[in-house]
Parts: sequence; C-alpha cells; structure tokens
Amino acid sequence: MKPLPDGRVISTFTFATLLEGAIPRDPRDLELPAQHYSLFPLTLGQILREYSITELHLSLNAGKWNYDKWGLPEDPSVGTGAELWAWMGDGGPLSIDERWVGLRNALAGLFCASLGSLDARRTSSPSTAFPLSSTRSSPIPHALRYASLPSEHVCTENLTPFLKLLPCKSRAGIARLLNPQRVFDSDWHGLSVHVLSTDEGVEMRLSVQAVLDPVRGSAGKRRDWSFQTLFDRNIDVSCPVANSSTIRVVVSNNGHSLSPDPLVVDNTAALYDLASQIPLDVSMAWPTEHTFQYPLPPFVPLTPLSVKRTLHGSSQTHGVLFVALSNNENHDITTGYLETLPALVTLWMHTMKIEVGAVQRDDLISAISYHPPLLQPNGLHAPSMLQAKLTIPARSTLRLSIDVSKAFLKYTEHPPDAMRGWDLPPAVLFPVSVPLDGEHRTNNSLIYTGDTGGKTIQDRMYTPTLLVDLATPDFSMPYNVIILSCTLMTLIFGSIFNLLTRKWVIVKLTE
Amino acid sequence: MDSSLFLPLLVSCRLVLAIVPIPLINEFQHDHQLSSPLTSYPRLKEGLWLYQHDVDPYAGGVFRHSPLLLSLFSTVLPPLPVIWALCDIVGAWALLRIWRARQRVGKGSSGRDSLVAAVYLLNPYLLLPSLALSTSTFENTALLLTLMLASEGNRSPALLALAFTTHLSLSTFLLVVPVLMLLVSSPVSQLASPRPFAGNLMTACKYAGEFIAYWLVLIGAASIMAGGGWGWVRETWGASLTLPDLAPNPGLWWYFFTEMFDHFRPFFLMVFSVHLVIYILPICIKFQHDTLYVSFLLVGILGIFKAYLTLADPGLFLSMFVLFPEVYPYLRHPIVTTLLHTHASLLLPLFHALWVTEGRGNANFYYAASLVMGVAGGAGVVDACFAGMRIAIGDVVEGERGKWEVVQE
Repeated sequence: MKPLPDGRVISTFTFATLLEGAIPRDPRDLELPAQHYSLFPLTLGQILREYSITELHLSLNAGKWNYDKWGLPEDPSVGTGAELWAWMGDGGPLSIDERWVGLRNALAGLFCASLGSLDARRTSSPSTAFPLSSTRSSPIPHALRYASLPSEHVCTENLTPFLKLLPCKSRAGIARLLNPQRVFDSDWHGLSVHVLSTDEGVEMRLSVQAVLDPVRGSAGKRRDWSFQTLFDRNIDVSCPVANSSTIRVVVSNNGHSLSPDPLVVDNTAALYDLASQIPLDVSMAWPTEHTFQYPLPPFVPLTPLSVKRTLHGSSQTHGVLFVALSNNENHDITTGYLETLPALVTLWMHTMKIEVGAVQRDDLISAISYHPPLLQPNGLHAPSMLQAKLTIPARSTLRLSIDVSKAFLKYTEHPPDAMRGWDLPPAVLFPVSVPLDGEHRTNNSLIYTGDTGGKTIQDRMYTPTLLVDLATPDFSMPYNVIILSCTLMTLIFGSIFNLLTRKWVIVKLTE
Repeated sequence: MDSSLFLPLLVSCRLVLAIVPIPLINEFQHDHQLSSPLTSYPRLKEGLWLYQHDVDPYAGGVFRHSPLLLSLFSTVLPPLPVIWALCDIVGAWALLRIWRARQRVGKGSSGRDSLVAAVYLLNPYLLLPSLALSTSTFENTALLLTLMLASEGNRSPALLALAFTTHLSLSTFLLVVPVLMLLVSSPVSQLASPRPFAGNLMTACKYAGEFIAYWLVLIGAASIMAGGGWGWVRETWGASLTLPDLAPNPGLWWYFFTEMFDHFRPFFLMVFSVHLVIYILPICIKFQHDTLYVSFLLVGILGIFKAYLTLADPGLFLSMFVLFPEVYPYLRHPIVTTLLHTHASLLLPLFHALWVTEGRGNANFYYAASLVMGVAGGAGVVDACFAGMRIAIGDVVEGERGKWEVVQE
C-alpha cells in the first residue's frame, strides 16, 4: 500500500508461486510427460507446456497511469489495454507463429479477454525493449512475440478467472481484499500475469494494481483509509498454503498514524505479517488533518522523466505524432524508445525531427531501427516498429515529431462503431545499456564525474494511448456505388462502341 | 504577342515557379487530386530515406515508385523541384515537335507554336500536379517523348522511350499498339480521308520484338537496382492491378473497391483491368488511317478509367486536343465538356476538404464529384471519337443545309 501526495493510495497485490525444479518444455521434445501440480494452477501450466513458453507476460489494464503524480509502479506493465508478450524456444514441429496463435487463443479463453484479436496486425518482436529476463541459460534460440491491444477493457469477468489461479481463490489471505466492486471502481486498475523461468524453477507472479481514492469515498473529504473503507473487507483468515503473506505499507513522516501496530517499521515502510496478525484491518489516519488539502501547483514530478505523446492535426488523412520527453533530473538521461503502430497509420520517417527548445538536435537520437509494416503471408500488414535511443539533456524537454498519414480502409474493415476511431498502442520507453562514463570524457579535460554520463530509466514506462480517426466511407452505399460506377462505365463504353460500329449515312430531311 | 518572345517567357515563368517558394505547396504534395500513392512526392522521399537507411523500400507498402526513379534520385541527383520544371518544359517541347511533325512543318515555326506550348505548360491539370512534385509529370513527359520520336520515325529511341513509359506506368501498355503502328505509318492527319492501314505489319512485329527486348532489359535493370528481388513488381505494377491503397482520387476505382464486397473484389479487379484493354483493338481498327489520333483517344480512355487516376491524366488528354485543330468544327458538345470539367475541378477539392479535412461532408460528396469527372472525361473522349469520324463525311453544302443531315444508321 502506498499513499500518494494527492490523497490516492496505490495498492499492489503480488502473488508469487514457484514451481520448484521445473524447466520450460523444449519445443523439440514431442513427448508430453504427465503433469502434476499442487499449488501451481493446472490451467496455466497446461498452456505453458503445450506451447513451450519460456517466459510469459500478460497485463490487462484500464486507465492511464499518471507517472508524474503516482511515480513508477511496482509492476512496470501499466500500458493501457491488453498487452501480451512471450518468449518461446524455437524448433520443433510447430513454428513460433503457430504457437503464438495457440497461446493467445488459449489465454483469451482462460482470462475471458479478446486476446484473439492480437493477430498478425498487432504482433511484432521488439526484443531489445522486452528482453528475456530468465536467468537460466538455454541451448535453444528463443524468439519474442509482443502484441498490444489498447482498446481492450478489464472488468470483473477477467478478475474471476484470475482469482481462480490462486490456491485460496479470494476466500482467504490477501486476496480476500480483491473485492471486484471496489477494485474496478478505482481510478486505475490492472491485472497482470508474469511467468519467468529462474534457476529454481518456473515462477509465476500474479499481480493486481489499483489506484484508489479514499478522499473521493469519504464524506468528510479526508484521506484516511483502511482495508474496510477501501475494499469493504478485511483479512479475516490467512491462506494456509502460503509460505509467507506480508503487507507492506509505504510510509513517510508526515504526521500519520497506523493501526494496528506493524511488526517491523523503518523509515520507508511498515510491515505486517498475516501469520501472526489475523484478523487484520490496517488503517492509516492523519489525526491532525481536518480536511485533506490537495497539493497546489507547481507539482514536482515523482519520476525522472515525464512523457507526453499526442497526435496533432485535425485532418483525417494526415497528422503529426508528437512526443515530448521532459528530464526532471540534473543529469542527462538516455532511454530507449519503442513505437509499434498498426499499419493503418504510416510513419513518414524522412520527416522525423528532434528538437530541444527551438533548436534541432539530431545528435540526440541514435541507433534508429525502423521496420516498415511488412505484408504477412496471410495478407495482413504487421505493425510498423520504430526503435531508437534518445538522450534527454538535463532539465530540458526533448520534442520528437514525425508526420503520419492515416489509411483509407475498405468498408468491411471498419469496426461496427467506425466513428469512434482506432486506438493506437502506447509507446514504450525502456532502459538501455548506457556506455561507460569513461566514454563521455571530454577532449580538453580528463576530469569526469560519474553523473555527467548517461543514466537510464529504471524500468519500462508507457505513454498514454492515442485515438486516431480515419475517414469513413458511407456504409450504406455498396449497391449504389456498384450501380452508379458501372452505369458510368457502360455509358462511356456503349457510346464509344456505338460510334465505332455504326455506319455513316446521309439522310434527306423531309418536312 | 510576338511568338519569338512568348515561348522563352513561358519557359522562364515555369522555371521561376520551381525556384520561388510558393505558400501552401506542402499541402499540394499531400493532395489526393494531384498525386496518387503511385506518384506522390512524400512517398518518393520516404523511399529514399528507407533506401539510405538500409531498409527495403518496397517492404512496407509505402513506396510504389519505379526502382529506376529510386536509383536516379538516390545516386545521380536529389529530387529538386527544378527537375519537374525541366520535365514540363521537355514535355511541352515534345508536344510542339509532334505538332510540327503532324503539320509537316520543318525547322521553321508554325503559327501555333506558342499556343501548343502554352496549352501544355499552362494547363492547370498538368501544372498543379507538377508543382506538387507528382511523378506523373515524368510519366506524361515520357509518353509525349515516345509519341514525338515515333512521329519523327526514330525507331530505336522511340521504342526505348516506350519501354520507359510502360515501365513507369503499367497502364500505358494500352499505347504500345498505336505507337508501333505510328512508327510504320505517318503522323500526318488522315482523318478526312480514311483508307486502309498503309504500313507494313511485319515490320511492326519486328519493332514489337525490339520493344520487348528493351522492356526486358529495363526490368532486369530495375530488379538489380531494387536489390535483386522481384518485390518491387508487386508494389509498383501490382498496385495498379490490385489496388491495395484506397486513398481517394478523381478516378472510378477507389470508392468502388472501398465499397466492394470482399468475395467479389478479385472479379471486379479483373473486370476493371480488362475493360481498359478492350478499347485498344476497336479504336486501332476504326482509326487505322491516323494512328496518332488512336494514341490520343487511348490517352483519353486512360484519363477516365485508369487505376490511381490523378488530374494529370485527363490533363494530358485535354492538352493533346491542341494537336488536332481539324476536328474542332465537328465537335458536338465542346461547351458541355468544358462546363463538366469546370464543375468537377471546382467540386473535387471542395468536397475532398469537406470530407477529410473538415469532417463535415461524407465520402459520397467526393464520390459524386469524381463521377462528374468521369462524365466529363467520357464526354471529351466520345466527342473526339465522333468528330474524328464525322470529319471524313465532310460538310453539307451551304445552301443544302436543312435538307440533308449526316447521321449514323
């Protein structure tokens, strides 16, 4: 639990299960040994085994994570909508893409989400931004598949199957607090599933994040909270199969009081342990504060980088994609930038401009790699992918702009609510390996300090999604267009052939 | 005005237009009336960027220009506006030479020289696409050069130019037969005295062989320049057969295939492509006595029914009208055609802006304007076709008018 300066509370639930000694299936290994799971969910285990998944990350989020006010999240996967990425070992009778299709359909069934729409039009493999985090070294080559569906919404029907993966469901332990009515009432909420293979075995981490607003819920406009007020529940039983269940409340010294007394407390956090403190209803209050005063501007951003991404231009054919990255620190920050756009938006790479202030600074972008929207064998265009390394000078704002043009689609390709527009997936900022400080040594002086060189961001950051409106044809016109166009063609064709084939005669006009 | 001064003045005006910055010219470059995905300048620049950054420009459905243009602008010279101006001037010069060849005027100047050049250089349908740096300028110039060389009987250069023309724009394949016929006959007007085709067909077949050889060489060269693969064929020529990009244009294809039911799409793509080919033989047979007129009529057909039509295509047809002053008295409805063109050219940009920029009108408005454009093009071609045949019958004597009339049975 992390109270924020603006009165909100970030609650992050993490449930980790380790399947000891397990290794991901080698895709070339055709024999499927018997599967036996005790705590690890069978439904997910079967999917992982069937499609030989080494690493899997699925997140379903609703809302826009406000980095400036809320800081970096515990679980970095906070991009709006659904995001799925998986690392798979190569080889075996089924290709990576066939297994990817199977995986997303299986997960769509498991989590009741429209992950089946993450088809070739949405799939790319940006392996630098989403590296294989498993520590175990593997003899077979691995490949990444990444897809994001920003228009997907997360709701109760996703939480119910999610809770079923837990050994105690939501009947005991910390998961008691996951009351759908309260979680989905929050300002931001998201579910995520991470499967990693580590040296000890296969680790699954399920996590739920929600940004709750106790000020909004309290009539007295106070920011005091407790489990009871936030979730309408408290933890009355612990999950007997859990090795450890702890609750960590992030504290700062600003006149609050915690009850009951935590087991361990230090400068930054207070810890509770469910093993000894049952039933538990943690509450945090600010007794000296009568009503909560919202912090007044100027706000100090909680993250080193602030990101803004917009699509300029009112026309339905052209626009400008505009990204502003503000460095809030006193040193340069280097970050990776990844843009994956579905083919309905074309990036004009020759118009890319980098500006700091009003000065063009093309030296701040490096390692540009651009993949145009390739035509897949199934006739669909893969998304275009732009990856680059950006260096944002200290205390300044870097502006990146690229012209885009919007596609004209067939009338059958438009969704039922065509006027709403299309969501574009968020851009991702990711940490990059920064060259050693020694390389930033200046020529005229050999003195350098550690903080003049590049620093990078801690973890991935997601920009907000964008909505792009495309020009629509008239959906009631197919027959009319066929009739009118064909009439014109036959009119011209007929006239010409009439002229060419008929014989010329001179006739006498009679009165 | 003195024609010896008028021509240099016109040429220098065109060059000045290329050099001085004109406001809103960037808007022109994205205009759907002036350039299509196959000819647009931003796409050319994007292709060059991709090529220079080691990305296959033909991979993403963005770049649809010929590999020859890609290698020209990436190695020899950058795509500067002045090249378009020079191309326009060469096109006007070629039109002038065709006119002189048709009138059998030698080196001296004919009375209509400045008019012919002005009709090409000042035609807004040709000037605006050229200011928008659409590569349709190159296609039109190549086509006029082909006709010029063929009229003057320069066999090999004409066939090479024809190979370039068909390479730049696949639909100009319609003109292969008339150009071959023109090479073995004469460009002089025979409209008033039709007679069977005088040229030697066997020679024409030999020329066809030579043309195919040039054409294959160009394909080979293009493939080498595109990196050795054949991906460019699908992106450039394939695009005008399968219509992958449905951006609106003044032609008939885009809305038809936007609204087409998916399972009928291949059938109608075939119909639209074959429909263009249907016109070649009948027009060639009927006008076998004047093959330059055949080329003119087929350019008109392309200016109505081509995939990815831009204003430059009907513009070329209208400018070529200046070559055939003998048919003017027999045109049935020149004023109606003019008014239709005026109507279409005013409504097209207006409805386009209303639909995609303002978001107030809808696609049907623009479609209606493009239908008017089709009607206008059709009216022009049908009238030219009529006048080209009517001229052979001759006039009824002055005193006998009202007693006799020339009609078709």
